[in-house]
Amino acid sequence: MNGIIKYLNHEVKKHTFDYLLLVTAGIFFLVSINIFKGERFLEFIFLLAFAGFYIIWGIYHHIIDDSLHLKTVIEYILIAFTIIFLLKIIIFP
Amino acid sequence: MKKLLGFIHHLFIPHENNNFRAKSLHPDFLMMYLVFALVLTVFSKTSGVDILGFATDVTAEKLYQLTNQEREKNSLPPLALNDCLSQAAQKKAEDMFEKNYWAHISSTGKTPWDFMNEKECKYEYAGENLAKNFMFSDGVVTAWMNSDSHKENIINKNYTQVGYAIVNGVLNGEETTLVVQMFNKPINPTVADVRSLIKPNSVEAKEMVQADKKLVVAQKTNKSKTNFSSFPININIIFMIFLLAALALDFYFAAKFNIIRFGGKNLAHFIFVTFIFIGLVYVFINGSII
Repeated sequence: MNGIIKYLNHEVKKHTFDYLLLVTAGIFFLVSINIFKGERFLEFIFLLAFAGFYIIWGIYHHIIDDSLHLKTVIEYILIAFTIIFLLKIIIFP
Repeated sequence: MKKLLGFIHHLFIPHENNNFRAKSLHPDFLMMYLVFALVLTVFSKTSGVDILGFATDVTAEKLYQLTNQEREKNSLPPLALNDCLSQAAQKKAEDMFEKNYWAHISSTGKTPWDFMNEKECKYEYAGENLAKNFMFSDGVVTAWMNSDSHKENIINKNYTQVGYAIVNGVLNGEETTLVVQMFNKPINPTVADVRSLIKPNSVEAKEMVQADKKLVVAQKTNKSKTNFSSFPININIIFMIFLLAALALDFYFAAKFNIIRFGGKNLAHFIFVTFIFIGLVYVFINGSII
């Protein structure tokens, strides 16, 4: 368990700004869909915006980290799009 | 059993045979999830409500039960379910789809009281609560109880009857489920007779509704059936729990064994999926009220 905390500490300390940015975007996403709840189209737009931000964040983060690779970008894109398509079924049944 | 455990180990624990990353997080598996999500999306569109169901489980029975529970908590007598009010509520919901609005008062100036009058639901006091795009009845009543103006209608001692309509249709180009709740206190028959002599076709009432004239553009009315299936919600929740578990386990063992590798950051994926999960559970299942 100590190893994980150490790893987490190291990762977050090393990229504090990046993770803060991602968490802030997440909070914005939740607040936005909470304000416009029931407005399905807007909810979907906010979901698209957050997923898009997440992909861009991933690319930016790995450039800074000097670990950018096509496979890494694809990983972010695949996760984001899977979530978008799955939630689309709920938002627009 | 040993084979199954081996497969689970391969799926979730990073080791040399899966290139030190949980197999469930490999690009080929991620691609499989995407294909699965795409198939589900296409399937839900082409099959329509009959297979996946309309994504709402709001029922008049449950709303009625929950409304009376709230009244009971406030030491008020239960409301009687009134057919006339339910018919007026149904008319109101259909009118909202037909005339393209989401408000207590229509674009042509028609009020909830006009719908009650049309159905000849004579009343002394009357009120209306509206909700749209909720997935569960509990969510509707909770949202109403969290709003002072709607709560005022639910726990109003002047009301003795209630009616409900839950109608599916297309509003503003979106599949929408509208919930209309109408309250009243029927007019004393003697007073009704007197009033009909003085003012025919007009009922004077103390209107308790909080009318918010937020108008939106809608297209047309179509469906009126509610065929709920929890399948889309369940599949989303199961998938996200699976993904979060895979990310957490992979992260845990990679940190434990001090594995250094190239690839996406599990912590970032975890944060992203967690926010989406919270959004799914707390927000997407809730609709709006006026």
